[in-house]
Amino acid sequence: MFKVERIAVTGGKGGVGKSTVSILLANKLKNNNKKVILVDCDVECPNDYLLLSQKFKDPVKKIYAQFPKLDQKKCQKCGFCVSKCRSNAIFQAPGKYPIFIHELCSGCGLCWHICPHGAIKVEEKLIGQVFKNKVDDNFWLITGRSVGVVDETGPIVTKLKKYAVNLAKKVKADYILFDTAVGLHCGVIRALINTDLAYAVTEPTPLGAHDLKLILDLLKILKVPAEIVTNQADLGKIELINKISRQTKTKIAYQIPYSKKLVKAYSKGKLGEIKIL
Amino acid sequence: MKQTKIAIASGKGGVGKSMVASTLAMLLAKKKPIVAVDCDVDAPNLHLWLGENEKWDKVEKISTNEMPVIDHSKCNLCGKCVNICAFNALEIIKNKPVVNKLFCEGCGACEAICPQKAITMKHIKNAEVKIKNNVWGFPLVSAQLYPGQTGSGKVVEEIKKRAENFNHQIMILDSPAGTGCPVIAALQGSDFALLVTEPTPSGLSDLKRVLQVIKHFKIPYGVVINKWDINKNLSGQIKKEFRNKLFGKISYDKRVFKAIASLTPILKTNLPAKKEIGEIFKKLKF
Repeated sequence: MFKVERIAVTGGKGGVGKSTVSILLANKLKNNNKKVILVDCDVECPNDYLLLSQKFKDPVKKIYAQFPKLDQKKCQKCGFCVSKCRSNAIFQAPGKYPIFIHELCSGCGLCWHICPHGAIKVEEKLIGQVFKNKVDDNFWLITGRSVGVVDETGPIVTKLKKYAVNLAKKVKADYILFDTAVGLHCGVIRALINTDLAYAVTEPTPLGAHDLKLILDLLKILKVPAEIVTNQADLGKIELINKISRQTKTKIAYQIPYSKKLVKAYSKGKLGEIKIL
Repeated sequence: MKQTKIAIASGKGGVGKSMVASTLAMLLAKKKPIVAVDCDVDAPNLHLWLGENEKWDKVEKISTNEMPVIDHSKCNLCGKCVNICAFNALEIIKNKPVVNKLFCEGCGACEAICPQKAITMKHIKNAEVKIKNNVWGFPLVSAQLYPGQTGSGKVVEEIKKRAENFNHQIMILDSPAGTGCPVIAALQGSDFALLVTEPTPSGLSDLKRVLQVIKHFKIPYGVVINKWDINKNLSGQIKKEFRNKLFGKISYDKRVFKAIASLTPILKTNLPAKKEIGEIFKKLKF
């Protein structure tokens, strides 16, 4: 049976080095002759391709979602849809037709199923794209990116992961690395779910410590085993992170010191060449 | 009197939103009544930037979300709820429909479609609102979405509403990173957005991503380059591209990292960043 190791890189806080750690891990694995697929799950602001100096060609997959569209001939302006929409995404001025506010709409489908007059049609809208880059023989980068103003980006992540897992089967990959977005929201949850291990990247500041605790809580809820990676470990107060590691019995897998070389490689898109893990 | 909402956003995380937001809030508070809102309800940090600990004047559990509860005695396993769910949050496991609460957005489509009326949406406490009048003389309204809960956008809407109750001329909104639902909720209705970026390919790319949202809502904006001197070439490019939108730049300084490691607000230091954010403050004509 096909088995691929699924590793997530996350962190809660922004700018702590999730993408950097993801690429450094990928470098380490491929240098050990492993086949690696890196999946950039930060579909709102994907950056791994920039850090690896990759360019996008045509998307390999387009992701659509359904949204409501009014049929004015059938609409009786009864306001039932407005009263039922929990996203407050339908606006109706007195005596006027309801207006669907797409940037607040989650595309849940409630309105078109409950309209007593069958006046709400369904419209497919492009919400995301998947890009594939073969970085080298043993290393693929799969990127998801939302298109336009999208409220619910979680479903894009789920479809992106599905694409990556299929690719992993096809190319017989040893590892899939999921680089998650910042925060703990639905896009992050969907990236973390069903992974074998998650690295929680942090920095030795009260901000880093605060957000590390939150992401470790989330990983516990998701039943994903966690390990900590401390970035810029020689700046700030390392004890803050060590304390959380002890309290939560979470292993610190890597401590990455501040490095000018790393910062330079980051800003020049040359992280693919750095071997420090 | 006209009240003004100023949002601080960036797309990319960790580029200095909360540093800029907290310092501007302190400066503004010296002149006018203000209220600050930490819209990063996933991982709120603004209170730490204000040099505050976790002691709040008021903490209140709230519910901005509902979850389906299934009455299995009424369910006849027709599967309509599973099919309608746009978020794949329902599954039939061992002859029972089961809700995956991590995926559920609380939309209520399953409740509406169920022919047996076996599904009822029930409110759940998904976040807590935290309020504190700080030593800088203004209230901070913050919230924490409980880990694993959904509905961050609605939590942001709720704390914005709460902030309205405080006497203020200016509301400072510290947006989360990204471009999704909590960011949309934070930016919507803002009179001005200050976009913080850094001169890296990621910083610039994410600035352009969040600009799509800003332009969609037609919000006037200004750009601040943090750590501008780590890549002067790219900073030059950003300056050129956003010429009349440039509101200032902040130098890279390891001591800023050290200040925050010891919870010292920038305004209490003598670092160049203090003066540089002061210059940005002067440019904000509110």
